[in-house]
Parts: sequence; C-alpha cells; structure tokens
Amino acid sequence: MPQPQKVAVIGVGETPFRSHNPEKTYVELAQDATRLALDDAGMSPDDVDTVVYSMAPTEFMGVNDADKWAVDSIWATGKPFMRVHTGGATGGSAFHAAYANIASGQFRTCLVVGADRIAETPDAQHVLNLIWDRFYEQDFALNTVTMTALMAQRYMHLRGMTEEQAARVVVRSRRNAMNNPFAHLKGEITVGDVMSSRMISTPFKLFDICPRSSGAAAVVLASQDVAAERCSHPAFVQGIGAIANTVFMGDRVGSTADCEIGVFGELTIAARECFAQAGVSNPMRDIQVAELYDPFSFMQFPMMEALGFCQPGEATRLSDEGAFDMNGALPINPSGGTLCTNPIGVTGLVRMADAALQVMGKAGAMQVPNVRRAVATAVGGSAQFFAVTVLGTEPV
Amino acid sequence: MDVFILGFAVHPPADRIGDKRLEELVFDTSAEALRHARIERQEIDHITIAACDELDGRSISSMLLAAPAGGYLKDEVKVTDSGLIGLCLAAMRVGTERFNLGLVASWSKTSIAPFEDVMRMRCEPFFTRPIGLNASIADGLFAQALISKGIASEERANAIATRLRNNGAKNHNGIQRKPLTVQEVEQSPYVGVPLRTAHQAPLTDGAVSIVLCSGKWLKAHPSATPLARIAGLGWAVDSYALNLDRLTALNSFRASWNAAVKQAALRNAGAFDALEFDSQTAFHALAYEHALDLNGAQSVSPSGSAFAQNPYFCMGLVNVVEAVRQVADLAGPLQIKKARHAAAHGQHGFAQQGNAVVVLERV
Repeated sequence: MPQPQKVAVIGVGETPFRSHNPEKTYVELAQDATRLALDDAGMSPDDVDTVVYSMAPTEFMGVNDADKWAVDSIWATGKPFMRVHTGGATGGSAFHAAYANIASGQFRTCLVVGADRIAETPDAQHVLNLIWDRFYEQDFALNTVTMTALMAQRYMHLRGMTEEQAARVVVRSRRNAMNNPFAHLKGEITVGDVMSSRMISTPFKLFDICPRSSGAAAVVLASQDVAAERCSHPAFVQGIGAIANTVFMGDRVGSTADCEIGVFGELTIAARECFAQAGVSNPMRDIQVAELYDPFSFMQFPMMEALGFCQPGEATRLSDEGAFDMNGALPINPSGGTLCTNPIGVTGLVRMADAALQVMGKAGAMQVPNVRRAVATAVGGSAQFFAVTVLGTEPV
Repeated sequence: MDVFILGFAVHPPADRIGDKRLEELVFDTSAEALRHARIERQEIDHITIAACDELDGRSISSMLLAAPAGGYLKDEVKVTDSGLIGLCLAAMRVGTERFNLGLVASWSKTSIAPFEDVMRMRCEPFFTRPIGLNASIADGLFAQALISKGIASEERANAIATRLRNNGAKNHNGIQRKPLTVQEVEQSPYVGVPLRTAHQAPLTDGAVSIVLCSGKWLKAHPSATPLARIAGLGWAVDSYALNLDRLTALNSFRASWNAAVKQAALRNAGAFDALEFDSQTAFHALAYEHALDLNGAQSVSPSGSAFAQNPYFCMGLVNVVEAVRQVADLAGPLQIKKARHAAAHGQHGFAQQGNAVVVLERV
C-alpha cells in the first residue's frame, strides 16, 4: 500500500491577468498555464501522474463542469482527475487536495490548474447573488461586495479601523503589483484617489474592491524524491489547515457566536493546525512573507490578527507604520494580491503560486530577501471557508 | 495507506423526496452515518463533500450544505465530479496521516433540478450544445457506438435491463419497482435510438454519508469495529470529445479498474465476489462487462445498482455501501456467502467521461 510522503512545489505557471482575453478560449487559457508550470518544473505532460482542477462557480463560464471541457487541452486525458470547488477558497482547497494526492503516497506528481474569465459574464455580482437563498436573501441584493461590506463595518466597529487605513492597503497593493508582470491592476495611486473613488457599498469605494480578472494559473507538486531529482529549490508544503463555518452571517455575530464574523475567528483555528504542522510558533519571526486572499481592502487586517502575526487591533497601526510594506517586518502580497488580480476560481492558487515563487527564490522583482517560509490564504463562500498553507525551504 | 469504513447511511430513496429541504436530507443522512459508526460529530477531524451546484440549484451550494453535512468548523473540501471521487479524495486525506477520522457526504435531488438541461449545459457552446445534446442523447450515441463495434445489441440490452430491474426489485434498500419482462423493455419508447426508456435507470432522490478512519485511529480505539478496508482506489477521465473511439474504448473505465485492482493486489475481476457497476443504462452494463471480459463467475450488480435507486450524482457511493454490505455480511437477502472482495464503480461527466473504482475488502 502507498506510504505517506513529503510534498513540494516544483513548478509554477501564471498567465497575464486582465479583464478580457478575447484571443483565447477558456481551455486555451488553462493550457497556457499548464504549459508554463510544466516547463518550469522541467516536465512533460506524460510526467504528470494526476490532475486537480481548480474551478469555482461555473456560471461565470456558462458551461457546466467546464473543467471537463479543459481535459484534453491540459493533457489530462486518461489520467486521474478531480475538480475542487469551495467558492473563493477554491484555489487553496485545490492545492490541499493536490497535496493529499501526493502526501498519501498515491501519486508522485500532481498538476493543479485552473482558469477563470469573470468579466465574460455581463455582471459577475449578479452571478454571485445566486449563491444566496432564492426566497429570503437574493432579493436583499446580497452579493460578495455587499456581504463583505457588512463584515468590514463589523471590523471597524470592533477594532476601530478607519476607511483611510484601508485605503493605504490599496495604495500599497497597487504599488507592489508594479513588480508583478501578471497583475491585473497596478500603478501609483494615493489614499485620496481611493477615498474619492465611487462609493459602491459602505465602506467600500470602487478602489477598495478587487477587479474581475481573466487568466489561469497552475502549480506542479511532487513527492520529495521527485523534487530532489527535478528542482534545485523546491517549496515544501510544511503545513495545511482549512475550516468551514455556517453560511448564516447573523449566527457569526456577537457573544453567542463560536467565531466572530468581523475578525475571521475561523482562520485562527485553521492556522493553529497549519502552524503546528509547520513548526511555526511565532508567525512574525518564523514567516518572512505572506500572500493573503484580500479581495477587499480591509481584509488584510483581520487576517493578520487571526493568523497571529499581531494582537487583535494592532494590524492597522502596523500597516500605518509600514510593517507590511516590501521593506517592512513582514511584506504582505508582494504580488499585489487579490486586490489587484482576482480570477475567483484560481485566486487561491495564484496565492499559492506566488508564495511558492518567494520560497523558491524565483519571484523576480517581487522577491523578498531570505525567505525561509511563506504563508498563503484563501477565503470563500460568505467568508466562511478558509484555507491556510505554509510553504518552506525545508521539509518538516 | 490504511483506511477503513467505520459506518454509513443511505437516505431511503424515493422518486421525489418532497417532505425535506435539501439541507434536511443532507443533515439526516450524515447524522445517521455518525450514529451507525458510533461517532460524535465533534470527534471527526475533516469532511469531504461531493456535490454539484447545478443539480443543487444553487451556486456554491456547499455554503449552505457544508454545515448540515457535518462540516461546521471542520476542515472541509468539496469535489464536484461525483460522490465516489469524494471518497477517493477522502481516503487520500486520511492516507496523509494528517487526518484520522472523517466523513464523506454526497447527495442528489434531481426531482428539483432540470436534469437534462443541466446535462445539456455541460456541452461547450460552439459545437455540441447547438445540436441539442443532453444525457439521454449522449447515452443513445454511446449505445449506437457499442452496437457498431459488436459490443452490444438491442436484444442483449433488453435482457440485461430485465435482469438489473429484477435485481433492483429484490433490494429492500432500493425503490423496489415492479420487475419488467423482456417484452415490456423492448416495447418501451425510444429516447435516443437505440436507447429505450426501460434501458435507463430511473432517477431518484437520495443521499449517502460514509465515515472513514485510519488504521492508527482504530488502534487507539480498540472497541471500534470497522466494516471494511479500502484496499484499492482508481479513477480517471476521458477525452471531452464524443467520437467512436472515445465512446467504445472505455479507457477511463479500464484505467480506473486497473489502478484499483492493482493497488488491492488482486489479479482480475475473477478475484471479486461482487461487482457493483454504476450502469445508467443497460448498454453501460454491457460495456462494462465486455471491458472486463466477465465470465459469469462474479455476481454483477447484485443490488440492482442504479436500477434499484439512482441518486445520480452519488450513485457510486451507493455502490460503495452495497459493496461494504457484502464484505461485512450486512446484505441481507442479497448476501453473497463469504464475500471477501467487492468493487464499487461510479461514472460521471458527459457520456461517462470520468470513472472511478474502489475495492472494499473484508476486515
């Protein structure tokens, strides 16, 4: 029977992300990322034992189970294949599933790949209204923007964050993204630009919100022995953690809630498990870079506190002081993060890919010096699904 | 990888389960599986969900259903291929040794979903969707392809449909539809030549939950009694194209079978006491038997499989439960004496693009 084994990332591929990719079909986008990741790993399609596909709601594509449409294009025909879907957390969950494919000893190499074309739908937020209950919630104009705006208000109430502090995150992210050749939104903007952008849903102005991105990403994972053969600086999977909470946001508010919605208490539970596996006892000391799933400007703050990088309520001050800048104590999202690029079903995988590049020392202009460990997150559903992963230069 | 089945539940099937919302159906089934395994929900350390948004009628349906499935504040992941793929992932998660005790939950309530419309929307928009392809038409093309290769005939399909319906009628865990005669089958209307309505396994509503544990967990809980050991896993996907070769070669079925049998250290189909195939039509049953060159020594779909109940998305997991019943001496009137190995099969995707096989072994 197969025996457990250690797992590492040995190849990464990302396409450029933009609003539209009219010159490519959906399956061609997935193929481009696959080809890039395989080239990066020095592998051919025949070297791939198994495939995990990262895809969130298929309504964005208009083709049910579009992953199966992509099978031939990503050279998966005849191979073991599964699609993972946990909403926005999909990419993180797909990575975890790929990890299980290899860590269990069942396979030696796994391609995890996904593509999305969010802007092909007339209105992505209309599609995302369909995640809510047809009778009670859809007419309430609930979608991922309005839902998360409520959470931001809750965080502001609990921790005293200001809209300007959130705006500084956008400024930092867009600046970081200038070093990322694949980022969708990038450039020098000011807090004033964010504050004066069009109000969408209090407290979110337009610039507080991620774009709708089209593109693809792929990651190749391998067992430790394969990694030793093929990759000089693999990124080992040191820890994984995930958690699901109830969809009902009202049940996550107040003293009777097991996890408070505004501060991502679920992530604390998942991170505790992940960090224990990785041997991380002091995140600020033990981890050198974070790739956080932050489609909205405020999200980095509760996430950093939930992950244990700082005490509750400290993240905004640390951000103001520059601790999360590229030359700060813990650079967050050197890639620009989800605020700059959000192909939803792939975004969590992009976080994994960008974190792996940091550990592998291949992040180019985004590179943070001397990275020994990186953490990546993904968030989905009504901010109810969380995935957290630690990658490192050494196996544990 | 040392993974065991500790308990299971299959919701009583019906053509339409009209007295429960989907989340009630899912909750009741997972709760029953935990009771069957004598486990409290707090004890599990992960859950693997297998479900289909489009059939559930709700985008990211696990937002609503993860908690009633047992996933509240648990490590949860969802696959969208089929229930049996969910079991394959769950077994691997246990195999990592980072998890020890978990649930697999899957469901299918096609009575509230426009099934053929959902299947039609699986077609890409350029070529196959405009010609009106859906599941029945794809299965009709599959049947034509099998006949053109001499793998099946209408007469043999009529006979095997009759056999499967008779098996299903004897299965107290199924719908227990009235058996049909060969004449009734061959006189039923065509839905996609040469496929007739009586060749098809009627869709039903249902849900399945299974409790898995590691060998390490069993050693730490000597009072627990596993029902079966997962001895082998295999799954694969075929090309999206529906040409003659793709339809008749059954490559992903063969690859799944070969991988699972090899992992179980068994030689061939002759080593099995029972085989439960996810035969959505009689032609599928003929194809699977042809692909494995079955010689009649094995008991093929003794439960009637999809002809006993057919919660489409989780039918492979129903087959797992039937296989577990055989190797755990829980199959009642359908019991095969001293069954040691049983295989459960599931198919998914357009024209069975994907297949999976799990080998269950007596403990």
